[in-house]
Amino acid sequence: MDNTILCVKWGDKYGREYVEKLKQQCEDNCSVPFNFYCLTDKKEKDYDILLPSSWDKYEGLHSRFRNKQAPSNMWAYRKLYMFQLDYYTSTGGWNESERDFKTIQGNNFLYLDLDVIIHQDLKYFFDLDMKQSWTAETKVTAVHGKPWIVRGWWNDMNLCRKNYAAMGSTPINSSVIRWNRGQLIEIYKHIAKNLDVLFFTYPTIDNYLNHFWYNMWYEDSGRTDESFFNVFPKGDIYSYYTGNIFPSDMEQKKLRPDHKICLFNNSADTNDVEELKSLW
Amino acid sequence: MVAIAAEGHNVHLEFRPKLAEDWKNAISAGVNLEAGNYQYLTKRVFDSMNASQLESKIWLVETLEKFDVQPKRVALLAGWFAQYIVPLMFDTFPKCEWIENFEIDNDVAPISYKFNKRYKDENRYKINMRNVMIKPLKFVQNPNTPIPKDDIYDVVINCACEHMYPMWKFRELNNAVQKNPLLVLQSSNDDQHEDHINCVESEDELIDQARIKHVIYSGSKILSNKSTRFMVIGR
Repeated sequence: MDNTILCVKWGDKYGREYVEKLKQQCEDNCSVPFNFYCLTDKKEKDYDILLPSSWDKYEGLHSRFRNKQAPSNMWAYRKLYMFQLDYYTSTGGWNESERDFKTIQGNNFLYLDLDVIIHQDLKYFFDLDMKQSWTAETKVTAVHGKPWIVRGWWNDMNLCRKNYAAMGSTPINSSVIRWNRGQLIEIYKHIAKNLDVLFFTYPTIDNYLNHFWYNMWYEDSGRTDESFFNVFPKGDIYSYYTGNIFPSDMEQKKLRPDHKICLFNNSADTNDVEELKSLW
Repeated sequence: MVAIAAEGHNVHLEFRPKLAEDWKNAISAGVNLEAGNYQYLTKRVFDSMNASQLESKIWLVETLEKFDVQPKRVALLAGWFAQYIVPLMFDTFPKCEWIENFEIDNDVAPISYKFNKRYKDENRYKINMRNVMIKPLKFVQNPNTPIPKDDIYDVVINCACEHMYPMWKFRELNNAVQKNPLLVLQSSNDDQHEDHINCVESEDELIDQARIKHVIYSGSKILSNKSTRFMVIGR
């Protein structure tokens, strides 16, 4: 099968039931055949793939987490390991602890965070045009085409621009990513080459992606083709805790079944886990 | 000319008609761009013009002058709108040829160019969108200048060290493409802001972070906003 759905479970924030529920949601809402894998630190099921741990030494490097009791950002950053999938294709892998990655099948990847509710057929994502080229400024060949990522349409762009240099609000959200094998090689190489600076500087993976792989200023000038990522259009993905489209449709804690996926990012408290469960 | 200076300082910001015109246009742009959803720029422009900003830039330029440093070609890292440092440098150091401001924030460029239009028009001021902790300053020699590509900048100024990775990384990145420019670094102990990701507690810590071996000057100063600013000059 060419289509593959991935998720990441690391640590204890989300229990196994989240993986099982996501898998069930995918089976209930995907009309095309697909492989399912969970990238994790603790292998329990056949579909589990062991995540590497080579970046653990960078845990807590950002000032937000240094000398504080706040949880580290690494749990979110670990999803970037899956970009290695492309790297293994071209290099054959690095070491034995990472060999699990080689067993991942498929060429058309869809990553989903564990805390999502799927409303509609995921076939939509596998049918997206992946061949749009991205060549002019970023030197990636047309063969690779462009991956897709969430543009949080619920964001106030004034805030995003204001907080850009401060690594604050970001319009890019990595809760759902769609790519074909080979398309994310450049990102993985960039991370691997600059691990110390990136983990020190960027509190979240989304801040990092926004700074290097998306150009929000192009939106005003209509030059979105020049960004590395395509973004899912308005009406596809919304945020349960933040809203849908700024400023016109910002009602919070509202399910929108006419959309494809609901995210549970930006929860103001720690009860999001239980709240999401109540909506299953 | 109206000379603006902090008490006890010898350097001045020369408030001439051209500066007045450029600043008026820059501040107006920050306000007038509201129609394009840029409302936040007005506040940012005013934030960049507070007393502490001017104090720290005057301190920097005055110290350079005191130690008889004569900058010619300056790399200004994360210079923001650069409305104070650029005229202070050009007014104080007649041999200063140009200043290049390396920024990551695209919204900075149009406003900063308005603040410094008189220098931009003379090709003495330029903004370069570049993350200086990821990429070296220059790869290619400018064909219009006889200056060797490894000696383009004789002075590197970074008044925003608290906003970025320690400066040793910058030096390592640029080791192959720049000779040994004089580093002029400022940082802060003010860790109340989320974007202050690399505060220091002393000038010695700043020296260590940049791995400066030959220190020309190091010192600290309490600014109007009550934070302590540290400055180090050396190689």
